[in-house]
Amino acid sequence: MGLSRWLKGLWSDPATSRKRAFLKSQELFKDLSFIELGQLAQCIHTRSYQEGEVLFAEGDIGRALFLLEQGRIDLAKSEPDGRRRTLYTAEPGDFFGEMALLEQLPRTATATATERSRVHLLYRSKLDSLRGARPRIGVVIMTHLAQMLSARLRHANSRLAQAAAPPPVA
Amino acid sequence: MSRRRPKPQLLPAALLAAAALYAAFLLRQALLPFLLAFSVAYVVNPVIDAVEARGARRFHVVLGFYLLAAAAAFVLAQYLLPLAAAEASHLRSLTPAYFAKAQQLAADLHVGAARRLARSGLPFEKLSAQALASAAEQLRLLPSYLLGLFPLISLLFLVPFITFFLLLDGRQLVAALIQACPGRFVEAALHLLSEIDAALGNYLRGIVIVALAIAAASYAGLLLLGVNGALAIALLAGASSFVPYLGAIVGALVGGGAAFVQTGHVGAGLQVVALFAGIRLADEALLQPVIARRSVHLHPLVFLLALMAGGEAFGFVGLLFAVPAACVVKSLLKVGWEWYLSEARLGAGPAGRPAAPYT
Repeated sequence: MGLSRWLKGLWSDPATSRKRAFLKSQELFKDLSFIELGQLAQCIHTRSYQEGEVLFAEGDIGRALFLLEQGRIDLAKSEPDGRRRTLYTAEPGDFFGEMALLEQLPRTATATATERSRVHLLYRSKLDSLRGARPRIGVVIMTHLAQMLSARLRHANSRLAQAAAPPPVA
Repeated sequence: MSRRRPKPQLLPAALLAAAALYAAFLLRQALLPFLLAFSVAYVVNPVIDAVEARGARRFHVVLGFYLLAAAAAFVLAQYLLPLAAAEASHLRSLTPAYFAKAQQLAADLHVGAARRLARSGLPFEKLSAQALASAAEQLRLLPSYLLGLFPLISLLFLVPFITFFLLLDGRQLVAALIQACPGRFVEAALHLLSEIDAALGNYLRGIVIVALAIAAASYAGLLLLGVNGALAIALLAGASSFVPYLGAIVGALVGGGAAFVQTGHVGAGLQVVALFAGIRLADEALLQPVIARRSVHLHPLVFLLALMAGGEAFGFVGLLFAVPAACVVKSLLKVGWEWYLSEARLGAGPAGRPAAPYT
């Protein structure tokens, strides 16, 4: 057992294995095979952000999906009166900016690291070229993305319906 | 949405680019092995990536690739190179006959032209002597031109060495670049890298495919036509095709000349010229559409200007790298312009298109 693990360690790269395992844990990539995860890992850039560092600002053109491996990222929006309202705090395992994989429009929130964070970036055109070369990877990612968007839309619809419902008569 | 950023300054960026270009010009000799290694790494990298994606450590994959390449080089050295050298030697032995034939042809032309020009009153003898002297001078200088390529042989050792480290650590270099980039501009930097990567990778891989295809097709065609030295001529045509359009021209000239000398008939030479014209057309019709589809499209005039400027500034090396450099410049301009537009007109958005609230 020890020998086989040692031999495996000699053959495979621990950093790549960790990246592959992290990608496998993500909802978006859960149906990808071992080799497909390896191909995807080669297309993903990793960067560390210091506390207070801005990942993107409201109004920036979105071109990448961010996958948070370590740390904490605040997504905040500027109010008309100048105050900032935190919409969501991303935690390890979360991803954000996923709509940049579908279209390039200005970001509507600012992402700021609230502690030292390690983030993987899947850049849109990298995914496009991967999709051309390995269509199954693109299909899997886009299917999961569509399912998530559908779930969020249902959730938003039910919240809208709740908000629009008349108050119960006492 | 309020504007919070200053308007982007293009002048400092342009000055920086000009300074980088001038530095590249000054360091062109030192940069050559790095440029060649970079190109080789671009071509080989997909193979390394494909094996690495199966779970292997990159170092092992690169090492394995080098061992395989060394074995292939050994086989080439054992079998193919002596064959090519013998063919080249055969061609060289035919050179005096080639000159004799050329002189005969010139003499025949001389007689016909003299008759016509005598009537026009032009000093034909003088013109003819000048033309022949000039041609002889260029032929005399041919060996020195070829000797000028010998320093390139040292690159045979230096380029694989640099390529090894580029293949091994290239991704770390990009990661370091991304890490050094201010957080806000990481997406823009990735956009730029991605554009350059696509343009360069597709062009370089495409031109290798073209070179191999031209070498293979011309070898088959020359064998069918029964031309001596088919392998040497095909290798020469394939190697020359790294400079756009040069492969077919070199193949037609050398192959046509060899066929003419071998048979003594102009028709045989013309058959070889027709063969290379056909190869060139097939390249244009079959290969280029596939290659160009994934590569940066350059207008033919830009293409020509890049070749002329590259050749003028950097000589033969400039011819080799003129088109990839033009691809990079086009990518830089494209991304720079997109960035300028998004920074300068941020918030305006395309007319009639709602900005969905997303992050």
